[in-house]
Amino acid sequence: MKMKKQLTRLVLVSLSIFAFACNQSDPAPKGDYVRGVFVINEGNFSQNNGAISFFSREMTNAADDLFKTVNGADFQGGAQGYTVIGDEGFILVDNDKGSDRLEIVNSNTFEKIATIVSPEIENPREIVGSSNKAYISCWGTNADYSYQTGYIAVVDVSTNKVIKKINIGAGPENLVYHNGKLLVGTYSFGGGNTLTIINTATDEIEKTVTLNGVPSPIGVDANGKLWVAASNQAVRMNAETYAVEAVLPIGSDGSKSAENFVFSSDRKNIFFVLSYYNSAGLKAGETYKFDVGATQINLATPLIKRAFTGLAVDPLQSLIYAGVTPNYGQAGYAVRYRTDGSVVDSIKVGVAPTGFFFK
Amino acid sequence: MVIDRRHLAIFYAALGLFLSENLLAQNDTVRLETVIVKGFAPEKFMSGLKIQKIDSTTLSQFRFQNIGELLSYHTPIAFKNYGPGQLSTASFRGTSANHTAVLWNGLNINSPTLGQTDFSTIPVAGFDQLSIQYGSAASIVGTDAVGGSILLNSVSQPNGIFAFAAGQLDSFLNNYGQTGARYGTGLTKNWDFSGKTTINYSSMINQFQRRARKGYSFLPSETFQQGLVQDLFFTSKDNQEISAHIWLTKNKMTVVPDDSQNRELTRTEAYRSMVRYQIKNLAFRTSWVRDVIDYAKGDYANLDHAFTDKFSNRAEKDFTFDFGLSEGNVQVKAGAEMTHYRTHVSGYEKSLITETRGDLFMLTRLLANARWLVSANLRQALITKYNPPFTPSLGTEYQLIQNLRYRLKIRGSYARSYRVPTLNERYWKDLGNPDIRPESAWNKEIGFEQRYTSGTTSVFTSSVTAYHNRVKDWTYWNPSRNYHVENLQEVLARGIEVQAGWHGNEGLWNWGADLGYAYNRSSQEKVYDAYSADVIGKQLVFVPIHTMNFNAFLQYKSTRLSSQVQSGSKRFSTFDNSQFLNGYTLTNILIENTVTWDKTKMRIQGQVNNIGNTFYLSVRNYAMPGRSFAVNVIVSYNAPSKGPKYLL
Repeated sequence: MKMKKQLTRLVLVSLSIFAFACNQSDPAPKGDYVRGVFVINEGNFSQNNGAISFFSREMTNAADDLFKTVNGADFQGGAQGYTVIGDEGFILVDNDKGSDRLEIVNSNTFEKIATIVSPEIENPREIVGSSNKAYISCWGTNADYSYQTGYIAVVDVSTNKVIKKINIGAGPENLVYHNGKLLVGTYSFGGGNTLTIINTATDEIEKTVTLNGVPSPIGVDANGKLWVAASNQAVRMNAETYAVEAVLPIGSDGSKSAENFVFSSDRKNIFFVLSYYNSAGLKAGETYKFDVGATQINLATPLIKRAFTGLAVDPLQSLIYAGVTPNYGQAGYAVRYRTDGSVVDSIKVGVAPTGFFFK
Repeated sequence: MVIDRRHLAIFYAALGLFLSENLLAQNDTVRLETVIVKGFAPEKFMSGLKIQKIDSTTLSQFRFQNIGELLSYHTPIAFKNYGPGQLSTASFRGTSANHTAVLWNGLNINSPTLGQTDFSTIPVAGFDQLSIQYGSAASIVGTDAVGGSILLNSVSQPNGIFAFAAGQLDSFLNNYGQTGARYGTGLTKNWDFSGKTTINYSSMINQFQRRARKGYSFLPSETFQQGLVQDLFFTSKDNQEISAHIWLTKNKMTVVPDDSQNRELTRTEAYRSMVRYQIKNLAFRTSWVRDVIDYAKGDYANLDHAFTDKFSNRAEKDFTFDFGLSEGNVQVKAGAEMTHYRTHVSGYEKSLITETRGDLFMLTRLLANARWLVSANLRQALITKYNPPFTPSLGTEYQLIQNLRYRLKIRGSYARSYRVPTLNERYWKDLGNPDIRPESAWNKEIGFEQRYTSGTTSVFTSSVTAYHNRVKDWTYWNPSRNYHVENLQEVLARGIEVQAGWHGNEGLWNWGADLGYAYNRSSQEKVYDAYSADVIGKQLVFVPIHTMNFNAFLQYKSTRLSSQVQSGSKRFSTFDNSQFLNGYTLTNILIENTVTWDKTKMRIQGQVNNIGNTFYLSVRNYAMPGRSFAVNVIVSYNAPSKGPKYLL
């Protein structure tokens, strides 16, 4: 076992060296965080202690709060999302008293560049980037929790200003950017069943598609098909016309919820977590995998007999990164798995790891 | 026994006080002008425990502040503070906010729903005397006294009239006002009457000059407080006393008040009333307390309303036995207390919950001889549905050295304590647990106290105490089970407290200095799930391991310069100690002068708070204020009674 672990590390190290070597032709960016894994730690909402932690792939311990380490103060909120566009990193910050913000940093050094504050950004949920713009789903003020005040905030990366807000009801949540289109899903408590398609050339809503469930876009697979989760169903669609081609039910137990859908690095498989609360009130569940060519989703054999608060696949090494949150009062873990579900190792990260960003 | 200076120095060094010979050499002919503070009834049976009395000068210095601020400068109690004027809860000797009993004239005034006191809502202006009792005293005061107790008392007033008005303004445009009178007169040949009426208000709008400090924003908040105190005493020459007490406090706190979507209002009101009657060795007390909490976020149209009524009756009788001992005696206090609760909280399973709790107790104090004191106390609480553990305690004090200039006392205590689950823990919908058990703890402690009088005008005191307190069935709103409450943990708190004080006067000069240091190691000891391994042995959240206080003053005639210092090491903010808030030291400087015209006095005081402009954070990760200034004025009129005079 130990030897296996060491071997894996050796492979990891050589892979990173390889990756680094491949990159030599580009003018190498300077900074401590050029290559590696960024963990989005949501933190405990009432303590405003979210953070972005970081580790390089060959390491098994993480630097725990990059933003604070580099800039001297943390961002006083939960980290809801992180993405990189060009050389800029964008952190979504959700503060307990409405002082929400978007922190913009140099993605290689993590030095602060700019801050966009509420009411430009309110209750941010997720961020994706096109080549020159960042798109942020926001619930808006949402003071009465009816999820009717949502919008997509469009940030021009050259000026770091919000240039437009596109209204989206029912609590905009998951985002996928693909080929000039932004796909917007909604939050399960928002109750909407509408998938919204925005043309990023005009930043106007181009089309809405109603599904039989709360939509959460996953992305476009190796065959060019669009996948959207709709409550406990995986829906395959035509990526151009948005016509539904297949609906794959994920079990029939309404007390379980399917979430954290993510493609394998070759986009031929989809991983997801099916979770529920057990009789002791603890969150439990399993992680499954299905082939994009499958006609049904088999729940008989889980890939990993565990539920996670975050799931991602490293495009460089194809490993699965899973976020473990014991509770909101202590540090969580990033557990690495091979695609066959065997565990590689685990790394202690921040409080409530819910997402990963790979560079 | 004669003790020379060299021996004394060795002794201090042994205590780790590292006193310089120089300090001891200075005051051969000094004598302390002690502030006379009357004893508290329960204190008589607390032998073996450490008790700290706060003098009236300190109470006056903190008169515009809340009791949490006073205690953080004068005791090792750590406060979990959410911001200026916001929620502030205590951790006494490494325990949680639920483990400090707050007693007003002997009545536990912790909120029955929360089982704790928000110290930001208790103004120092509301009582006459303040004592802090360290360690478990549950056999004497009942539930919650696991880490310690805060004792607030009202006392009868001397004959005559004393009236005052006071106001304070500070840099953040916060302003405070108080006015009132204390009065006393003979009624008949046999009966005296005295009383006190005061009102106080605070308007804390916290207009900080900047939005942020060192990259951390402030959390905007405002707090408005109003209070009323009314005490009446009728005292007879044949040992009868009837007293009536009313204490009302209203506290309205709003976070982000200018943001109509995110603003959060918490209104806390307490109506406390009590009548006591004592005839010789028999005493009765009846009280009614109503706690109201209203909460709303954003839209204030629908306030989340909660109230609890607590009706309490108590009877106790004192007995004294001589047993034919040459110099000692035995005193016994036996009594019973019955408390009835009525509560309405919107989060509870039922709209109205009632519960009755009873307590039987017998307190014994054996004075074996002039040097040796023992107290043995027993208590059994009786509660609807289940009973807390039988609670005994044994404490003793022995004067090792007792002579004209020097006294050395050893004291020790072994005591059980308990905490009855709060109403929230029992009745909260889904998350509460009707089967939750009371917590139970055993506390052991030992301490030395010494007092050295140098010459006639200087006194040196010091003490060292070590304690070990293990709390079982520690209730925990388990974050791994969506905050469902369980008897999940076992906490071991242990530590050492050291205090040293030097007070003296010479001619027109007066001075004093008090230093306190405490080491508090408090950890979770029991494994209960796979990830609790990361929590075992870790320091409890928001409990600093090291705390320090230093208070000093120098007075010439009626001009006084004072400094207040509090210091705490880092406070962990996650259960596995993976995150923490940095430690900090705060220093305040106060200068005051009192001018007297006949019966009228005026005191003007200037304060520089946080003079070092220390940067520190609240528990929610917001910046706390830096250096600020305050000025206050008190005008008082004092006409003592000239002799016996009867009103009737």
